[in-house]
Amino acid sequence: MENTKISRRRFVQLGTIAGSFLAVGCIPTSDGKEIVQNLNGNTDYSLNQFIKIGSDGVVTLFTHRPEMGQGTYQSMPMILAEELETDINAVKIEMSEANRDLYGSQMVVGSRSVASEYAVLRKMGAAAKEMLMSAAAKIWDVSPNDCYAENSMIKLKNTEKSLTYGELVEEASKLEAPQNPTLKDPKDFKVIGQPILRQDIPMKTNGSAIFGLDMKVDGMLHASIERSPVFLGKVVSFNKDEVMKITGVKDVLKTQRNVWGHEREGVAVIADSYWAALKGRKALKVEWDNQDLEQHNSQSIFDKYEEDALKDGDMLHAVGDAENTFKEGGEIIEAVYQTPYQSHVPMEPMNAIVSVEENKATYWGATQNPNGVRSQLQNQLGIAPENIEVNYTFMGGGFGRRSMTDMVEEAADLSKKMKAPVKVTWTREDDQTQGPFRACSINTLKAKLDDDGNILALEHKIVAQEIRNQTGDNMKAGGQLMGGVNTDYEIPNFSVKGVLEKSYIPITYWRAVYHSTNPFAHESFIDELAYKAGKDPLEFRLAMVKNHPKFSSTLKLVAEKSGWYNKPIGDTAKGVAICERSGGYFAMVVEVKLEDNQVKPVKVTTAIDLGVCINPDTVKAQTEGSIVMGLTAAFAGLTIKDGAIAEQNFDTYPLLRYHECPEVETYIIESTDIPAGAGETGLPTVAPAFTNAVFALTGKRIRKLPISKEDLIAG
Amino acid sequence: MASFKFNLNGKTIQLDNVDPDMPLLWALRENLGLTGTKFGCGIAQCGVCTVHLDGNAIKSCVLPVAAVEDKEVTTIEGLSENNDHPVQHAWIEEQVPQCGYCQSGQIMAAAALLKNNPTASESEVEAAMQGVYCRCGTYPRIKKALAKLVKS
Repeated sequence: MENTKISRRRFVQLGTIAGSFLAVGCIPTSDGKEIVQNLNGNTDYSLNQFIKIGSDGVVTLFTHRPEMGQGTYQSMPMILAEELETDINAVKIEMSEANRDLYGSQMVVGSRSVASEYAVLRKMGAAAKEMLMSAAAKIWDVSPNDCYAENSMIKLKNTEKSLTYGELVEEASKLEAPQNPTLKDPKDFKVIGQPILRQDIPMKTNGSAIFGLDMKVDGMLHASIERSPVFLGKVVSFNKDEVMKITGVKDVLKTQRNVWGHEREGVAVIADSYWAALKGRKALKVEWDNQDLEQHNSQSIFDKYEEDALKDGDMLHAVGDAENTFKEGGEIIEAVYQTPYQSHVPMEPMNAIVSVEENKATYWGATQNPNGVRSQLQNQLGIAPENIEVNYTFMGGGFGRRSMTDMVEEAADLSKKMKAPVKVTWTREDDQTQGPFRACSINTLKAKLDDDGNILALEHKIVAQEIRNQTGDNMKAGGQLMGGVNTDYEIPNFSVKGVLEKSYIPITYWRAVYHSTNPFAHESFIDELAYKAGKDPLEFRLAMVKNHPKFSSTLKLVAEKSGWYNKPIGDTAKGVAICERSGGYFAMVVEVKLEDNQVKPVKVTTAIDLGVCINPDTVKAQTEGSIVMGLTAAFAGLTIKDGAIAEQNFDTYPLLRYHECPEVETYIIESTDIPAGAGETGLPTVAPAFTNAVFALTGKRIRKLPISKEDLIAG
Repeated sequence: MASFKFNLNGKTIQLDNVDPDMPLLWALRENLGLTGTKFGCGIAQCGVCTVHLDGNAIKSCVLPVAAVEDKEVTTIEGLSENNDHPVQHAWIEEQVPQCGYCQSGQIMAAAALLKNNPTASESEVEAAMQGVYCRCGTYPRIKKALAKLVKS
């Protein structure tokens, strides 16, 4: 039982592995720059912070990016296992501790995990393998070059000699980690690129996977919180005495949380069970000062946006001179597109458990942002980061919402006041009506075609709130606003403009962010122009990306696989759209069919180029999921009534159901390029590809989401 | 407050001192420690709380615990001993779950369907499965798994 103390072996020079963290831009702190060895005692030996091997030969790989369905739980260890030469199906996967010094950023957003950690994890795996080889070489008194690694063993070339990783790990762990380990040639990959069964899946078929909502802590109280329906309302009074009469209720307290710089108030009912807290909440009556925010509604919001769309706006991207081209005369084609606010709706509602003690805080919950949870508690409570423990679980979905820490603030505030661990559980209504939301938008587009029907000039203007620009006086739109506008199209005069809106309604990152709204307008309008030019919509696009290999190849592949050029059978039609997101390129064809006088999506075919795919089956699953989420957002949206969200629960804000899901086919273009993000692939294109198909079938151009039933009636 | 006796996953259990209005979901999760059954909406719309009551799939978030007195309740934890129910097998084979949060509900809905109607038609499968939401969008894989399970 030696080695129980943590010993850190550092690089003499902060060399290649360290540099690789920085090179990919995922670790902003300098503390994350080293390999840290020997973190564990007993007979387990740590070769670095990602790899632990027992003297019994059991290999444990740590996954440091939380799992919300996207597959990092296994796709990160797959990268390690590839270079380590170990059987991924035999390793033990464990979620790492939340520790920025050891792991750098652990935030899971923007489909970045695999893309940003690919190089780092390969080096971690390769470095560990070389240490094991060196240990074996020492025992055999040969050069490490005479050894090779295979299936958790080091073997001596041209002999029968071999030693297992378990036999070697103690010696290996004493060695200096190599700074510049040799990486495998991607053509020799055995793990990366294989559709390996995910280790988290069996836990998710028998109820044993633990989510934030499943956590329980001794002495824990439960809280349900009534929050201002208009977000910024102030608590005037509440009927505490009556609520206290409910059996199990312990206290009724004012609380607050900060969302993107806005303090938002609420009244918490704290009880000994969640059911008692809910009953107390039902009896709770809060008088709010609504700050005159009830005057706002969806109509007034979009009226203002449309009015603001007449402003010049801020130039976000410019090629050539679109403005002057329009002034030169000729027909100008214009269209206005609209998208609504959306809620994230992870199936697991927001929750957090925090226990605040004397100079110490502990968190348990489902978060996309473990480092952010620590910062939240540090800033809120004034507790040193080393005295804050962050325990993260599986997430029942995240979609961007769980990158926020407002629910942690509530739990910490109440725990401090109650002097006990407190679990805050949001109801579905809380989750859906409180936001922060996906931004709504107005997109105005303007174009001019040349005599051959090519786009001579295009202006795309986006009127929306910007996530990073929700408070303060800065009224200039930033580049974030133009996400998803395809500037790879070769258009000689092409400008993108933004008009920044400010609102009391809070917004945040939502799966694919502005790529979830702008491409609907952009790719629909491109379609409008194709028809105006009398050209095939797919050929029209292909001509504008002819010099872009990834867009061209995905478009050609999707054309082939979807049968784009085949004559439509019966009442069917196809629509196409393309997009880039998180470095991945994809082209999508949606086929629609008229059934019972309603147009329905029946098949979605996608061709994607994401570079190296760690697990192609996970990439396909993410594409399927993005398509379902994108279709859901095309069919339902949130509206504002009397300053608040009108749709309280799933009865008025339905998700796509089993029988409404089209057939999905996904084709991956093989590539050895560095991996792009897979988590949002398919979402940006599904709404425009669908509405383009609707147009092809019915001649109706849908320019407003959500799509109404009337939009989908033929004729 | 009252006491209730019912059969849970093959064993008779007694719940004491509980509010008879409390939905079965919270009794399972908080009083009995079975957290495989999930909370999603509280209004029987999303189905992630689906369990079996006397062999039929029901939504436990709106069913008062008083209503299960003397009845048989099966949760995901009681569906099989070793994660080896045919539905669980098919779910693993097709790699259905993503986040996994709704999957207890999906699996319990599918298991009840197969038991009560092993030769279900496509529209009967749709009717049975449309009661459970999946925000991750695993429907295409659920469909493939069920195609293997339903006897044609």
